[in-house]
Amino acid sequence: MPMPASISPPGSPPSPTMSVDSIHGHNTLRLNSPLQLDQLRRIKVMIVDDNSINLSILSRMLEKHFTDIVQLTVITTSGVEALQRLASEEFDLILMDIDMPVLTGVQTTIAIRQNTSESPILEHNQNVAIIAVTTSDGAEQRELYRQVGMSDCVSKPIDPSKLRSAIEGAMKASG
Amino acid sequence: MLGRRQTRRMYEGGDCGTAIKENNKKRVSGAETPINNIKGNEEPEVVDKGAETEPETDVEDFEDNGIIDHTTFDQLLEMDDEEDHEFSRSLVWNYFEQAEKTFEDMDEAMEKLDFPDLSRLGHFLKGSSAALGLTKVKESCEKLQHYGNRKDAAGVESITNDEAETLIRALLAQMRREYNEAESYLKVFYDGQE
Repeated sequence: MPMPASISPPGSPPSPTMSVDSIHGHNTLRLNSPLQLDQLRRIKVMIVDDNSINLSILSRMLEKHFTDIVQLTVITTSGVEALQRLASEEFDLILMDIDMPVLTGVQTTIAIRQNTSESPILEHNQNVAIIAVTTSDGAEQRELYRQVGMSDCVSKPIDPSKLRSAIEGAMKASG
Repeated sequence: MLGRRQTRRMYEGGDCGTAIKENNKKRVSGAETPINNIKGNEEPEVVDKGAETEPETDVEDFEDNGIIDHTTFDQLLEMDDEEDHEFSRSLVWNYFEQAEKTFEDMDEAMEKLDFPDLSRLGHFLKGSSAALGLTKVKESCEKLQHYGNRKDAAGVESITNDEAETLIRALLAQMRREYNEAESYLKVFYDGQE
């Protein structure tokens, strides 16, 4: 017996308690797997980069090429600012520059994972998916990013297809 | 999307040709004569201040010098709205401002021989240069990043402070020429869009 269909409008979280068996006698969209449900829920992304040019490019790229995945993008220009936002807003993904003054991307990631910021970040954000976006993308550096808790590294200049793969992989891994 | 082939066609004759000539009246200024025979590194470019440089009137001359990585630059153009190039144009002009400010900061850091700051500034400008596809500027920024860390151009072997100072002085002049070349190309490109 097929499972009752659940339908969630784009942009809103899935509602497993809602189900519609049929509409006007036609078959409804059948979404049985959690992954399919998640595909309707777009994510909230934070971009962290101290370079305004890079911020403009990446936010525009998400706006133009990732509307199927990204619901909302927030930009911050430092690790300190990122931690402040994470104390009050929930995010699904952080695209993190590495070489920034005061707090590097690695230091910011460690502060998130260990929740060592002056203002404690929201519990949800402690395990937020983080992808490094950087020109510092050698093998040793990638290993360091992995060790501190980043799920992937995308090289600058950004190839949209590689960014998409990294985001999909990160979201799958974070469940 | 305007790629290499399309940008080349735009500059074949007509008003665009005039725009190219006017923009290229601005000569790349001469710079310090770099020092040769620096241990363990390639010789920097030799610049003859007295030599006349032929103005480039054909966009192909720009392209042959590898100023722009068109794959990257075309990706930026793809993010423009169909009707205009306002996004990429404003981005490029913001980059010009950023680069000019960064060069000023580099000059100040050089006066103080603040190598860590020079390295940081090199890395900073490398990122945005790479994002716009400005290949030569990006590569020079990467060298500055390494020299500022007292490493060779590849970032592997250590160099002395004196060597770093010599290399950086020559590199800053070279970087400025490369930036001027890229700036000229981009201004010609966007002038042709109007």
